[in-house]
Amino acid sequence: MIDKENKIEILRGCKFLRGLKERVLSDLAANAETLRIDSNENIITQGETGSTMYFVISGKVRVHDGEVIWAYIEEGGVFGEMAVLDSEIRSASVTAESDSLLLSINREVFYEALSADPEAFKAVLQAVLQREREIVEQIKVRTAKLMSYQKEMEIGRRIQADFLPGSIPEVDNWEIAARFEAAREVAGDFYDVFKLEDSSHLAVVIGDVCDKGVGAALFMTLFRSLIRASSLYGCVGSSLIDTGPEKPTNSVSEVLLNSILTTNRYIATTHAGSSMFASMFFGFLDTETGKLTYVNAGHESPMVFRKNGDIELLDITGGVLGLFPTASYAVKTVTLHEGDLVFTYTDGVNEAKNLDGDQFTEQRILEIAAPEGNDTESFLAIVLDAVRQFRGEAEQSDDITMLALKYLPQVAAG
Amino acid sequence: MATLNIMVGEAQSNVPVTILRLEGDIDAATQKALQDKATEVVAGGATHILLDMSGVNYMGSAGFRAIHALTNMLSSEESSTLSKSPYLKLLNPTESVARVIKTLGFDMYLDIYQDRDEALNSF
Repeated sequence: MIDKENKIEILRGCKFLRGLKERVLSDLAANAETLRIDSNENIITQGETGSTMYFVISGKVRVHDGEVIWAYIEEGGVFGEMAVLDSEIRSASVTAESDSLLLSINREVFYEALSADPEAFKAVLQAVLQREREIVEQIKVRTAKLMSYQKEMEIGRRIQADFLPGSIPEVDNWEIAARFEAAREVAGDFYDVFKLEDSSHLAVVIGDVCDKGVGAALFMTLFRSLIRASSLYGCVGSSLIDTGPEKPTNSVSEVLLNSILTTNRYIATTHAGSSMFASMFFGFLDTETGKLTYVNAGHESPMVFRKNGDIELLDITGGVLGLFPTASYAVKTVTLHEGDLVFTYTDGVNEAKNLDGDQFTEQRILEIAAPEGNDTESFLAIVLDAVRQFRGEAEQSDDITMLALKYLPQVAAG
Repeated sequence: MATLNIMVGEAQSNVPVTILRLEGDIDAATQKALQDKATEVVAGGATHILLDMSGVNYMGSAGFRAIHALTNMLSSEESSTLSKSPYLKLLNPTESVARVIKTLGFDMYLDIYQDRDEALNSF
């Protein structure tokens, strides 16, 4: 049982009431109620009006906005005083962190006690101002921290951008263009175009790591690096070990399949606990014959726009990469002819949403795409414009990545 | 905000099968509920799980990640060499979820059934 003397003692020890005369403290104590609160019991709900302030006698409470905790208040602390002073709604919720004992004083009691002593008002005002200064200091510290996080995030973004090709290799008879439009949040889209050593083949990669944020960005660098390293150096014919002039060579489809299986198995076993996966279209283009050998691992179907107007979709030949070590993939081929264009993209295109929540869809790409007469840059610009127009005022929620290849029509000599 | 309700049922097939009937959306916000419930039933001794997907309107990548984590929880030495998990199967996904499953090629990793009895007998 807490008697009046104890209550006075508790109020006297409270910083917020420092400077109040004994008589005022005695008046407050006479009308203060003792409350026992169980752990996790809600005391104040954000947004409600309130007329009571609380002093913590023992235990601990948390001041929070949903899941975000702003502060903990322990023995000798006060909360709920702002709504008492200004009659506004509660700016945060307060919940008991442990079994707690509180003293509660309501607005009428508070003002009544203070009205007897003009000095008391001054003391409370000073306490409020002091509290405000502390809050400003806290905001300064948090803002500085936030700025440093944002700076780190910006550095991360720049490093991630280095994992995209700085320039696309130039190849006779082929025109290749790519666009990468990052969403505000870091995400896991990537693409790559590079020449295979000692061959007329060009590797073409487009992928999308699941989810968003730093995790997706980290895995993007892993997927991209593994696929590039394994296709450049991972097979017998392309091995870094010098086996002499008689070195055996792997076929293009063997190198391709080995790269996919290596990447999948590595991530699915080494990072099994992360359950992170990527969809990927990965192809080797023979730039002399137009033969594109590919694996589509759970990725949006690339579109082949034939010169004669036909359209073919390069559907999946296996599931997403990185989850199941035993996953198998079929290698397929498609032969491109002069004037044909291949368009690959990530779901930031077909799943772009407008304010109504409708998606752009694969169908719309097929409707607007007009490769005839357009170079690859203009083709990508047309698609991107259409996506932006469709999206309207809605925010770009995902990275948009597009890669297009065109087999240039040859001008007959003479 | 997305919600996900999970009801737990039991059925006797060749082996005891735990049926998790999911209702709602499986996204970044709700996948933890699925993960927690799955952890709970596995800790309680469940070895074979059928996910009844007929009440799921939307499943994002977070849902696929949760399902993968569940197959890992149930995996054994014998199952690690198989292309599809013998311990976790899917029942009756809605059209929109089935479409995403197909796009990502998840049907290559998991058996999917339209009929409950057929699904149960497959364990």
